[in-house]
Amino acid sequence: MKKRLLATVLAGAMVLSMAACGNSNANKTESAAASETANASTEAGAESGETQAAAQDGNASSELNIYMWQQYISDDLIKNFETENNCKVNLSYMSDNADAINKLTAGGGDEYDLIMTCDAYMKSLIAGGYVEELNLDNIPNSSNINDTYWVSKGYCVPYLMNYIYVVYDSETCPVEIHSYNDLLQSGLKISTIDGARNLFPIALVALGYDPNSTNESEIAEAYEWLQKFNENVVAYGNAEQNLTNGTANVAVTYDGNASWAMKEKNTIKVADFTSDPIQLGIDLFVMPKGAKHVDLAEKFLNYICTAEVMAKNLEEFPYSCPNDAAVAAASDDYKNDPARDFSYKENVFFQEDVGDALTIYNDYYQKLKVGE
Amino acid sequence: MNNKKKKNMLPALAMAGPVSVWMILFVTIPMLYIIYISFMSRGVFGDVVYKFSTESYKTILDPTYFKVILKSLKAAGITTILCLLLGYPLAYIIAHKPKDTAAKLITLIMIPFWTNSLMRLNSWLLLFQTSGPINNFLVGTGIVKEPITFIYTDGLVLIGLITNMLPFAVLPLYSTIEKLDKSLIEASADLGASAATTFMRVTLPITFPGIFSAIILVFIPSLGIYTVTDMLGGGKILYIGNIIKNQFGSIRNWPLGAALSVMLIVITMLLIFIYTRFAKIEDMEVV
Repeated sequence: MKKRLLATVLAGAMVLSMAACGNSNANKTESAAASETANASTEAGAESGETQAAAQDGNASSELNIYMWQQYISDDLIKNFETENNCKVNLSYMSDNADAINKLTAGGGDEYDLIMTCDAYMKSLIAGGYVEELNLDNIPNSSNINDTYWVSKGYCVPYLMNYIYVVYDSETCPVEIHSYNDLLQSGLKISTIDGARNLFPIALVALGYDPNSTNESEIAEAYEWLQKFNENVVAYGNAEQNLTNGTANVAVTYDGNASWAMKEKNTIKVADFTSDPIQLGIDLFVMPKGAKHVDLAEKFLNYICTAEVMAKNLEEFPYSCPNDAAVAAASDDYKNDPARDFSYKENVFFQEDVGDALTIYNDYYQKLKVGE
Repeated sequence: MNNKKKKNMLPALAMAGPVSVWMILFVTIPMLYIIYISFMSRGVFGDVVYKFSTESYKTILDPTYFKVILKSLKAAGITTILCLLLGYPLAYIIAHKPKDTAAKLITLIMIPFWTNSLMRLNSWLLLFQTSGPINNFLVGTGIVKEPITFIYTDGLVLIGLITNMLPFAVLPLYSTIEKLDKSLIEASADLGASAATTFMRVTLPITFPGIFSAIILVFIPSLGIYTVTDMLGGGKILYIGNIIKNQFGSIRNWPLGAALSVMLIVITMLLIFIYTRFAKIEDMEVV
């Protein structure tokens, strides 16, 4: 009897602990579930003949399948679009940029009409023929988008963007930070973003190299710089929590996360960089090759480029936005956000495709994280 | 003759069939797939290129990975030893309580497990963070001047591992100690052995299968678990589990991830093999 109780209890514990492990990937699980829904819908769509061809015959699509980041678009925006166009929008979510690339390179058009990716991958996606060319005449509102932020125009529509910059707690940070090299000073407790292609450009810029260098000896030097940087790092990720709870006094983070931290703690300031450029990443929508609901996808892209629609979206997701008209129409809260109040917004670099050198980056990154 | 044989096979097939199918589908095939992938090459985009290569195994022997493997083995070893040192007396005490008290105590050990482990890990972070209650208390009472950095350290990772793994040590230990024939201990005492000698020469050898189950149940998951190090280590402290996770995630080197997983499987097998040198596998007390 006792043994049975014990068995039940132990089995329960194991199941729970497994459930716990699974939960760390809650997003993934949800997205998997969501993508199943999307699959089902796509199949249904295909069966009822709502393909591109059908759309061209004059039958508008009634369903749109989008793959993007979670917590990145307003539910109201989606609902309004559905009502206006009498359609159903199926959102599935990715947990990593690589997921989107996998979908795109594995014939994403069968499942999705729009996939979110970022500027860094555009070149190879176009070269590989994985994305459809867009007919911008059908997306007139895209003229609201500032060309500075529009890489590979004609193949994508920029959505929101993120600066990766340095913020610090003016109360607890012992030094003034004006450059990446200042991050090597002693007494700093840094909470930083993670990832090879986010960290190495910082070091490369600090050393005076091209942030997208493909030269192994430069990357090796950057690795040495990052080793010193790593000594000041208290944590990778969770910048906003670490800054607000005092674990870190400096953070290398996205402006959206800094915005949140600044609302919690008003002593957090954006570092006043003198000459080092900062990284700007642009999240954008592309249409995978063979997308089935092109008409609706174009309508959707046009809709999110509308100034008022995007301005409303920014209230909920106060990230930097490449849509000038939307920023102009945005609330005062958004416009006066201290996280975006810095003078060197134009001094940016973009993450570029580094080709085979990605392997070099990843190997050094691995070494860095292992603490070799 | 032939007919008779078939008849005899049927019940066995009916009993073992479903389990065998399950094991083949969900254990054997995935394992073979992992071994297969580990001998493939990686593409630039992080895709698996189906071309034979032993590159991943060579990489494991690189001092960088070797160091992490040693570090993980050490951490898992310390966790296991501490879980045994804490778990054995605890299981011993519980086993010597009246039956219903013992059941209650075992339930108490399990209660924390009714909460999601990520919640428990997060609460450790909240408790120990720089502006958290423990630091506030220490600074407030003047015990320390400056808040102590507890979080994102090896120490906290170890605490996290131990609290996560302790029940897996206590339960098999309890199960063997509880079954221990008390007359043997009495006999040992009657024959003049001291309490310590009795423990070393009688209790410990008899409960060895339980100890070994505890070692396996604690050591192997502690080697692979990455959520504890990810959360309490702040992404700075990496064990083998984190490295494997990274290979399948951000770094996208599946063959290397697979090769590291194969290595973990080999370590597990080795442990079981060592066990079979000392005792019978059927005696291993899991529950």
